[in-house]
Amino acid sequence: MSLSESIRVALDSIRANLLRSILTTLGIMIGITAVIAVVAVGQGGQQSIMKEMEKFGSNLFQIRLDWRRDELPSGTEFTMQDIEIIKANVPELEYLLPCADTYSQVKAGNKAKSAQISGTEAGYACLHPLEISTGRFFSDSDCQSGRRVAVIDEELARELFPRSSALGKKILVGNQALLVCGLFKAESSPFAMGIKFVYIPTRVWLDIYPDGGISYIEGGTRNPAEVKTAMQSSIKILERRHRSENLYQGVDMEQQIQAVNKVTGVMTLVIGIIAGFSLLVGGIGVMNIMLVSVTERTREIGLRMALGARRRDILLQFLIEAIVLCLLGGITGMALGVGGAFLISALAQWPPLVSWATVLLAFAFSAAIGIIFGLLPANQAANLDPIEALRRD
Amino acid sequence: MIKMERINKIYRPQSNPVHALQEVSLHIEGGDFVAVMGPSGSGKSTLMNVLGCLDTPSSGTYWLGGIEVSSMNSDQLASIRNRKIGFVFQNYNLLPRMTALRNVELPMLYAGVENKKRQARALDCIEQVGMLDRIHHRPAELSGGQCQRIAIARALVNSPDIILADEPTGNLDSASSLEIMHIFQSLHRNNTTIILVTHEAEIAAFARRVLHFRDGRLTADEILSPQHLKKTPLPKGGEDI
Repeated sequence: MSLSESIRVALDSIRANLLRSILTTLGIMIGITAVIAVVAVGQGGQQSIMKEMEKFGSNLFQIRLDWRRDELPSGTEFTMQDIEIIKANVPELEYLLPCADTYSQVKAGNKAKSAQISGTEAGYACLHPLEISTGRFFSDSDCQSGRRVAVIDEELARELFPRSSALGKKILVGNQALLVCGLFKAESSPFAMGIKFVYIPTRVWLDIYPDGGISYIEGGTRNPAEVKTAMQSSIKILERRHRSENLYQGVDMEQQIQAVNKVTGVMTLVIGIIAGFSLLVGGIGVMNIMLVSVTERTREIGLRMALGARRRDILLQFLIEAIVLCLLGGITGMALGVGGAFLISALAQWPPLVSWATVLLAFAFSAAIGIIFGLLPANQAANLDPIEALRRD
Repeated sequence: MIKMERINKIYRPQSNPVHALQEVSLHIEGGDFVAVMGPSGSGKSTLMNVLGCLDTPSSGTYWLGGIEVSSMNSDQLASIRNRKIGFVFQNYNLLPRMTALRNVELPMLYAGVENKKRQARALDCIEQVGMLDRIHHRPAELSGGQCQRIAIARALVNSPDIILADEPTGNLDSASSLEIMHIFQSLHRNNTTIILVTHEAEIAAFARRVLHFRDGRLTADEILSPQHLKKTPLPKGGEDI
């Protein structure tokens, strides 16, 4: 019997027991739906993290003090002098910024809001995709002379100065009054979580928070290929100057991407294992119903054998029926999974990523389940004795 | 066409042997119309299974159309059943989900006949049994007599060497039985070899030759006189012998 004829027979028999077939495929369907949806949302999430990270540029690195140490030896903090010496000795560097962060109150008139207060230098605006909408970012001379200026995000500006433009107004950070010299567009990223930002020159930041120090150094090279050498040379200089080893840790984009990939990889694996179990349960359901089908159709099998079906014809017929059953579940599951992925992503605000590999894998997987769990019932059917089978009611 | 030599069939040879067939030897010419008669337990069903290549004898040799089939494996037997034997069963054994046409095409699917030829050949055979107006009906929409006619068409499609009919009128009323027997007679006139199992003498009377079985042995082999072949209407509810 030809393949198309076998498929036709399989579809006939599925149609004859429609409700039962649908209920049977439900297990496979749910399994495949879960796999596709979760993988699509996961990959979409991973991609949007990547995009987020790519914005920071591949020519960028940061050096921090080892955060795992409980107590750092004295005299190891970054100093402004470190910056000058590294700048002078590492020619690949285009920018080297001393940075400091804290979370604090910003006041204007009788209003007060919390925001992240970041100390940095003029180069920051070149290394990061900051969109200045009004005014300007502070300049090198602002930084050198320690002018009391601040660049704040538009949303914070609106909250502090609801009636007029914040540009040229004074805000109070700590005990210092700062002049707002520029506003930037707040980012609409799913990871921003509504945090407001204030950028001020590092020197000013150190004046406001004399107990705090430079928390990290951010560097940028002209050529992305030189990031690693520039970072390593900078770390060497720091180690020599502070007479310590393995205390300064550099991170570039590549390393961060690897870290994200590692996390998402583990998550995908865990989800894959869970989904695998649900498909296993679905497969057992298919096997069960195929065994029922063989019992019910014993006479049909006997008749087909009498009319000239060989054992392998019968085997193939039932195997194909199991595969068709699983593929129907698989295809519906794929459609629902893709739909579900779009739904979840709409809620999570990142685009789903449905890759061909995932879809093909799900397809192959449901076919494989059909073969594995169809084999036992099909074998049982093929080994029936035609005389016995014909006599059965 | 058929030659059997000292065929024995023993069920459960180890524990509790039952000799279903004992030393059966027979010869059937091509184009003959033979009835096999006997009470239940006489071995006629076992003979049909062996003749139909559904079962193999415990000993002895069986030639069908010049081929020795008594020692074939199950795949070879399937192929012999498909090409050389047409089965007609008491309970028709049509597949309920398929139309009459598709039921008739079924043996050709296993013979690998291509789609177009398949349908033409099926329609040809359905015409022979006078059922062309019912080809798209399912078995449930047909009467018993109509089902049996479709089953006969199915038995004919692969142009088998022999037609094996096992109590073909057992589930039919006398009018339908008569129609079915007339179809067998016309097939016989067209030189088809027919072997018919029955326990009704009136049905056996349509054949040219009758083999009597009892306790697994061939006890009598009678050739019916041509007068016997006259078309007599069946008495209502035909009696057992």
